Amino acid sequence: MKAVIDWLDDRSGFRALIKEALYEKVPGGARWRYVWGSCLTFAFFAQVVTGTLLWMFYSPSVQTAWESVYFLQYHVWGGWFLRGIHHYMAQAMVVLLVLHLMQVVIDGAYKAPRELNFWFGIALMGVTLGLSLTGYLLPWDQKGYWATAVATNLIAEVPLVGVYLQKLVIGGTEYGHHTVTRFFALHAGVLPGALIALVVGHIYLFRRHGIHAKEPRPKRDSYFWPDQVLKDAVACLAVALAVIVLTIYFHGAPLGPPADPANEFPARPEWYFLFLFQLLKYVPAFWGAIIIPAFVVLLMVAQPFIGKSEKGHRFNIGFLWCLLIGAGALTFLAFSEDRANKKHFAAVEEADWLAKRVVEIADKQGIPPSGAVTLLREDHENRARRLFSSNCASCHLYNGHDGRGFPVDSNQSAPDLAGVASREWLEELLDYDHYVSAKYFGGTAFKDGKMATKVLKKFDEKEKALVPKVAALLSDIAGLPYQKPLSEKDREEGFDVFFDELGCIDCHDIEDEDEGSAPDLTGYGSRDWLTAVVGDPSHERFYGKDNDRMPSFARDEKLTEEEIGILVDWLRSKPSTNSEVR
Amino acid sequence: MSAACSVFPFAAGVPAFLDPVSGNGGEADEIPWSKVASLSALPEDGTPTRFGIVRERVTDAWTTLTNVPVGAVYLIKQGEQVKAFNLKCPHLGCAIDHRSDRRDFFCPCHNSSFALDGLVSDDTSPSPRGMDGLETKIEDGFVYVRFQQFRPNLAEQIPLT
Repeated sequence: MKAVIDWLDDRSGFRALIKEALYEKVPGGARWRYVWGSCLTFAFFAQVVTGTLLWMFYSPSVQTAWESVYFLQYHVWGGWFLRGIHHYMAQAMVVLLVLHLMQVVIDGAYKAPRELNFWFGIALMGVTLGLSLTGYLLPWDQKGYWATAVATNLIAEVPLVGVYLQKLVIGGTEYGHHTVTRFFALHAGVLPGALIALVVGHIYLFRRHGIHAKEPRPKRDSYFWPDQVLKDAVACLAVALAVIVLTIYFHGAPLGPPADPANEFPARPEWYFLFLFQLLKYVPAFWGAIIIPAFVVLLMVAQPFIGKSEKGHRFNIGFLWCLLIGAGALTFLAFSEDRANKKHFAAVEEADWLAKRVVEIADKQGIPPSGAVTLLREDHENRARRLFSSNCASCHLYNGHDGRGFPVDSNQSAPDLAGVASREWLEELLDYDHYVSAKYFGGTAFKDGKMATKVLKKFDEKEKALVPKVAALLSDIAGLPYQKPLSEKDREEGFDVFFDELGCIDCHDIEDEDEGSAPDLTGYGSRDWLTAVVGDPSHERFYGKDNDRMPSFARDEKLTEEEIGILVDWLRSKPSTNSEVR
Repeated sequence: MSAACSVFPFAAGVPAFLDPVSGNGGEADEIPWSKVASLSALPEDGTPTRFGIVRERVTDAWTTLTNVPVGAVYLIKQGEQVKAFNLKCPHLGCAIDHRSDRRDFFCPCHNSSFALDGLVSDDTSPSPRGMDGLETKIEDGFVYVRFQQFRPNLAEQIPLT
């Protein structure tokens, strides 16, 4: 064994190299405050290894980026874990960067003769942030797509060459295949390469000047090995452990719904860029994205010179603290503004729903070559929610929202259609107080119509007690998929009430029995009936000339037959969330 | 402790990396019948005819494709029966040619030759077994084949799963 090692040493000189590496002098002894550089090196090493492994699963194109990440996340053994480690380690790196920078400046390790190395550090910080930014887009989900679009639009703010620079970065004028391939090349090739080159320079210079010991020195001088190595390793393990805990707690990195240029998503960058995002609410983009960051970086570059005097050194520390506190405050503002914003909350909820939905569909049907985004575009549930939101929600609500979960700004003027035609919905409708409330006809002309003033209002206690029987009959006619059918006996009882005891038949048809002036209830709540009502509520069969503002969606070709069918199926598919199903 | 640090990122990716051999893909689906050709398209005299195999639905990792070419076969009519051979050489997977002048099959990569019944016809052939026969059936005048691949370079015919 020794002979082999001697042979190797003779040809490579590795013993001297190891000695050089391990027996670095640590003035004042090993200290916890020196661990940050090692932690960052470790984190970067972990990113290179996990990133290379992720590379084996990633396919950079518009139709396959999200899809390959979905496959890794949900179908590859331990894929979610690998992705999670890479994701949270990236966040840990940003935190470690800040800690390293603060330690260096507070300890005064940036001053002569270490100016050059301080600048290497600033460059490394830039490259690391670049890695975060480019990595955020690669899964090609809604979040990455819309947030990165903001970032690349800011590139255009660069004076003179901005527009060309932007085209170079995104590979054209619009986001597409070349955006993914370029971002991937930057993320997995250019930036890590630059980072390695800079780290080599950084560590070389660090070794050349040695550790800058903060006074007073607590102990006698020692060597890097074994004391400092032990502390470094403990710190690195702690970082690894934190990243593992985060990964398991959140079950890996999030994957939003696939990028869809046709459907907006509230763009938010990763949390550590939120302060810049927030800043852009207060200052023009040119200032927020170019002038202020450039000023900050220039000032940091000048710090070794400013720090020559004790006053300057204190200014430097104060400046960094102000920067940190300012960024922290902006981040806090960004978070609290979002938390207070109901629309944003609804958009996040909807994105979560879409993300789950698309995985459900993809697991069941597979993903076509046109990509997963077509699965959502063709999904009836998703289409129904959007159709309701854009065609119905200006008057109707659905469980108190617009169908997609967004709060509605204007006053509701027509019934809430969640659980329409169900027993619960009808029982409420046929109660005078509910009938004239905003949830039903309170916002319409029917509030003062015959049904309200001459019928429901006049019901005595005995008649009121009969209402559930009619509600049960009508909802049975509707045949909703989530309700049990009535027994023959209950059905007959319902008809008795309808014809005789309450005399509904005086105005409403049912089963083509008679002619009446009020809406025909033949086939009430069925797919055909609802399709016909939505298609043309002004038809004689329904509201006729009494129709209050509801458009004739089929007659006026506002919606296609298919679209109305999708809407009606969806309305009939689920009970209202605030009533029990019987 | 330093060792643990350097092993950690590799360990994080070991399961994912080993996924292809983990059996995570679940039970292999039953091999579907592929409609290959009309029976009348095959020469009566038993001359082999080459046909592509197109599968209706194939899932390749994250993409589900329709009408995908998955390979090719030689069909040989023998009376009312049809024999099918996978085009791939059982030696190392090159495509086998049919030599009409010699009435045999020949692999141009490493010179294996096979008789029309698929058996190795020349002792100097490197192929350890004859051409891979495939299950066939005839329905409504059409030939259907259960197309599959086998492990190369073994005397025994073992399906690839």
